[in-house]
Amino acid sequence: MKQSYAYYPGCLASLSQKELDTSTRAIAGKLGFELVDIPGFTCCGAGDIHEARPEYYLHLNARILGQAEQLDQDTLLTICNVCTLNLRQANKKLRDDEELMARVNDNLREVGAAAYTGGVEVRHLLWEIAEGDGYEKLKEIACKPLTGLKIAPFYGCQILRPSKLLGFEDPDRPQSLERIIEACGAEPVDYPSKITCCGFPIVLAREEVALGELIQPLAEAKEAGADAMVTPCPLCHLSLDAWQGKASREADIEFDLPIFHLAQLVGAAAGLTYDELLFKRHLVKTHPATDKIYAG
Amino acid sequence: MEFTIKIERYNPETEDSHIERFTVDAPETATLLDVLDVIKDDIDGSLTYRKSCRMAVCGSCGMRMDGAAVLACKAPMAPYAESGEIPVISPMGNLPVVKDLVVDMAPFWEKFRAIKPYLDDGDAEVPVKEWRVQQEELDRIMKEALCIQCGCCVSECNSMQADPDFLGPAALAKAARFVYDVRDRGGKERLELYNGAHGVWDCTRCYFCQERCPKGVDPRDAIAKVGAKIYDAGMQSDKGARHAKVFVKSTYQSGYLLETQLVPETIGPIGAIKEIPFALKMAKAGKVPNPLKPHKAKKLDEVKRLNKLIAEQEKQQREAAAAGPSAGDDE
Amino acid sequence: MVRHDVVVVGAGLAGMRAAIEASRYGADVGVVSKLHPTRSHSGAAEGGINAALGNAGEDSPEQHTFFTVKGSDYLGDQDAIAVMCADGPGDIYELEHMGAVFSRTEDGKIAQRPFGAGGAPRTCYAADITGHVLLHVLYEQLVKSGVTVYEEWFALDLVTDGERCVGLTAWDLMHGGVQGVEGGAVILATGGLGRIYRGTTNAYACTGDGMSMAWRAGVPLKDMEFIQFHPTTLKSNGVLITEGARGEGGYLRNRNGDRFMYDYAPNAGELASRDVVSRSEQTEIDNGRGVDGCVLLDLTHLGAKRIMERLHGSRELAMDYAGVDPIEEPIPVRPGAHYHMGGVDTDLWGRTSMPGLYAAGEAACVSVHGANRLGGNSLLETVVFGRRSGMAAAQDVRSNGKGGVFSPAAVRVAERRIKGLLDVESGERPAVLRRELADMMYDNAGIFRTAEKLDACKAGVTELRGRYDRGIVIQDKGRTFNSDLVQAIELGAMLEMADCLVTGAVAREESRGAHSRLDFPERDDENWLRHTLAYNDDGEVRLDYKPVTITEYEPAVRTY
Repeated sequence: MKQSYAYYPGCLASLSQKELDTSTRAIAGKLGFELVDIPGFTCCGAGDIHEARPEYYLHLNARILGQAEQLDQDTLLTICNVCTLNLRQANKKLRDDEELMARVNDNLREVGAAAYTGGVEVRHLLWEIAEGDGYEKLKEIACKPLTGLKIAPFYGCQILRPSKLLGFEDPDRPQSLERIIEACGAEPVDYPSKITCCGFPIVLAREEVALGELIQPLAEAKEAGADAMVTPCPLCHLSLDAWQGKASREADIEFDLPIFHLAQLVGAAAGLTYDELLFKRHLVKTHPATDKIYAG
Repeated sequence: MEFTIKIERYNPETEDSHIERFTVDAPETATLLDVLDVIKDDIDGSLTYRKSCRMAVCGSCGMRMDGAAVLACKAPMAPYAESGEIPVISPMGNLPVVKDLVVDMAPFWEKFRAIKPYLDDGDAEVPVKEWRVQQEELDRIMKEALCIQCGCCVSECNSMQADPDFLGPAALAKAARFVYDVRDRGGKERLELYNGAHGVWDCTRCYFCQERCPKGVDPRDAIAKVGAKIYDAGMQSDKGARHAKVFVKSTYQSGYLLETQLVPETIGPIGAIKEIPFALKMAKAGKVPNPLKPHKAKKLDEVKRLNKLIAEQEKQQREAAAAGPSAGDDE
Repeated sequence: MVRHDVVVVGAGLAGMRAAIEASRYGADVGVVSKLHPTRSHSGAAEGGINAALGNAGEDSPEQHTFFTVKGSDYLGDQDAIAVMCADGPGDIYELEHMGAVFSRTEDGKIAQRPFGAGGAPRTCYAADITGHVLLHVLYEQLVKSGVTVYEEWFALDLVTDGERCVGLTAWDLMHGGVQGVEGGAVILATGGLGRIYRGTTNAYACTGDGMSMAWRAGVPLKDMEFIQFHPTTLKSNGVLITEGARGEGGYLRNRNGDRFMYDYAPNAGELASRDVVSRSEQTEIDNGRGVDGCVLLDLTHLGAKRIMERLHGSRELAMDYAGVDPIEEPIPVRPGAHYHMGGVDTDLWGRTSMPGLYAAGEAACVSVHGANRLGGNSLLETVVFGRRSGMAAAQDVRSNGKGGVFSPAAVRVAERRIKGLLDVESGERPAVLRRELADMMYDNAGIFRTAEKLDACKAGVTELRGRYDRGIVIQDKGRTFNSDLVQAIELGAMLEMADCLVTGAVAREESRGAHSRLDFPERDDENWLRHTLAYNDDGEVRLDYKPVTITEYEPAVRTY
């Protein structure tokens, strides 16, 4: 874990998933690292700009990395799966190809942006607190263990695959979320679809297909007795939470499964309140689970 | 060395399915395929699976090991003996099971044929000798050309699981091989084949295909490449393309994705109207940012200039690509 | 019962090229293959395909012809070789027009590199996956042509009407059951028989099926005793490391680190002819200068960039199956049974002694490779003679009409044979005989042969054939996808073909090309400049001989 990070919240955490940004900032203080805001950062392009305009995607991300470099930060902290993959992929492409980096930097300079020289690592918050001193610190701050709570970890896709670009843990048997859940005093619940897709990338363009995907982790976690689910990605969160109603109707099962952001789980275990963590912003009311947490 | 595996058996004639456990002796360097061979040769001749080259080039032996598709001839057994874990071997997913570890590949080949899997040199006058093509140009399709059509990607495709008609990663990677071949003149007609309801925009970007591919084809990247060509050709009416367009427009206007724009511009006005109840729920939870107070990034002018500059360069590339390969000077 | 003008058996490079050509000539074509076409062993070829394009310097079909004739140790038919070398460039350009992704020179032409014993750089390549690239491009063209493919149909027997070949019977693997396949002409393109040897580069599917069908139907097989051992195969499973690795500059070293090839081939070194290199390696190994029964293929001096660009596939294979990264360390390699020069006796158009029956590719023997094949010439042979036989067969059908009469009795005979095999309740498992055969062949009919070893081998093969006929047990009695049954039938073919091979080897008392007799170490043109023919005499192998066609090059001493 670093003492400070260039903080890249991404678009959703800044807007519709604001509770994620708020919770992240709150736990940063507890965990003891500084979040340095990046003035003028843009969207990373998600998979969409990456697909539709790959050159533009590359430049947007190079610019973001350059901005982090300008702040004298060697690590950029992300809180979203998609941002993580996008930034890491751009980072690798640039670092692996001198000519490419030079060409991109020429373009950046031409529009008045700072060049990027390859000095920034991109790390998801999940990785920072799942092992090493970050994990130790997590255990330290978990003063209000979430005893008795069964939490289903949902990784989603782009924090695990392609593992050549992410590589933090075994993409087929990840354990980071489980470790964090345990450190927070709760019991992790296992189920097969914790690493499959929530469908978010196509939830608007191909809703039925996305719902077909979304139903699986919800149904399995429910079946396995989970009180709530936790995810490190705000896009997955949007699918699992905001689209849960539609998934319920599609599957004809009342899921009623509260979905926590990773930062909220940590925050709750660190003693932050229901209001501080903005649980009220969820579409699926978190009450059965949060009642247990904030009961006594 | 001793190896133990469990195999999901299925006999189509009796319709019996069960998990069977086998323990065999094989050399330390044995692959899963070697172990299957020992079982078939010396224990149970009815164990059924496909195989041929045993060197990961023919694509016959795709199957699941602990739920993840691999080529049996490329999966080493030693790690399992060392850890004591017993892998469960089952047939590939997303394809009908015929018997034991053999799946019916007919639906797979149907999708292969559906993408026009051959070079279309149009009405071009074919040179006497070879087309002159630069190695860098061919390098753009060498990854896709590695594909051995084994089906490991298809086996794990999350989209295909939810939509069995999705063309899928193997077929679309093959499509990319032609879309980016400078000798192909399939043009927009070819792209239309990949632009339909079950084409590139159906891909959920789970990256399982990329993770499972034993040859490094990177099918998801290939699908994105095809999507890029479709988008670049101005074919932007599919919701998937419109979705991407919103991201581009949004970052131009504000630096961020403007979610209030995303829904209506992707699914269209009528779709958006149908989603009003949903939108209201989102609004009640505070998840709809105030459309009157757009969230703008600082230094937006840099982003606008960047977009224009890159768009200009993309245009130049597009024009260069339209030229096609030369026939060479000498005869 | 299905009917086509031209029926092609086997869907590798030769089979698919034949099918495409016959289709172009207006024939209605049906392809019968025991594998899906892209699973064929052609896809494993790595190094490249030869043609005198002249892109890497001065070259000509004449030069190509000469080196091929010399490489064949003068057993190749020079008219056939000349045709292949003359047709070569046109066939390569056509493959490129179809879309093959050949590697390129600076000016965008098809790149060529040197290959064993070829002389000038003449081998066109697509990185180190040439076979895979060509196999897939032909499959694409096959799909485009709309030709019917009966995949996972296992060909059983040729059907004749006494005069012509009128088709074949086949076992439908997916559904079970014998199918009759009637054809105005049949082209056998079923590949080689490497699996009769332990230590082979060949896929499991290479069991000599088509050659066996022809032999049983009375068609002679030619030069069966000539099997090429590829010098660089991996010990664990026989997988091939391409000759291209040496073409790119790789070295062969013995346990002392010496580049020993210069002792045996002072001019060509590592790029001497395959039979020469294999014999040299075996000699080093037999004389205690090997490492664990292997020699060392050293690529470390080529550097990571070159290896990643040109030999990426080979590196993967070395890492997967030998646990070695060739960027860091040398790869232990040894000779393995690789290519069968012999096969169904054909003329320059793929015609066999039986009207209506053709053969092309490794299953055929034209002969363009004689006693030893040059690297890069096998892929060339498949497209040239695949095309020629496809055309000839289509024209044949056009002039002869539907040919002869396919008797339904043939299907019933085949059904009885299958039933007979499945009904056996007690006996040996096929795998037992298969392993004995493979060991026996590798130890006794391998690189270095003697009368003693060959006689023992012949006796051994005869014994195995007897045990096979007495009854082997197929445990899978099911109808659907019975691969146990198919493997048992393949074993029958392997035993017959092994018999033809060994019988020819026993008789040939000289050393020529890949056939090396320690008791007859010299080449004997006076007595042995002739092709061996192996006939089926009521189940026994009967030998005869026929002359070699010499046009341009009188046999000379062959050194490198």
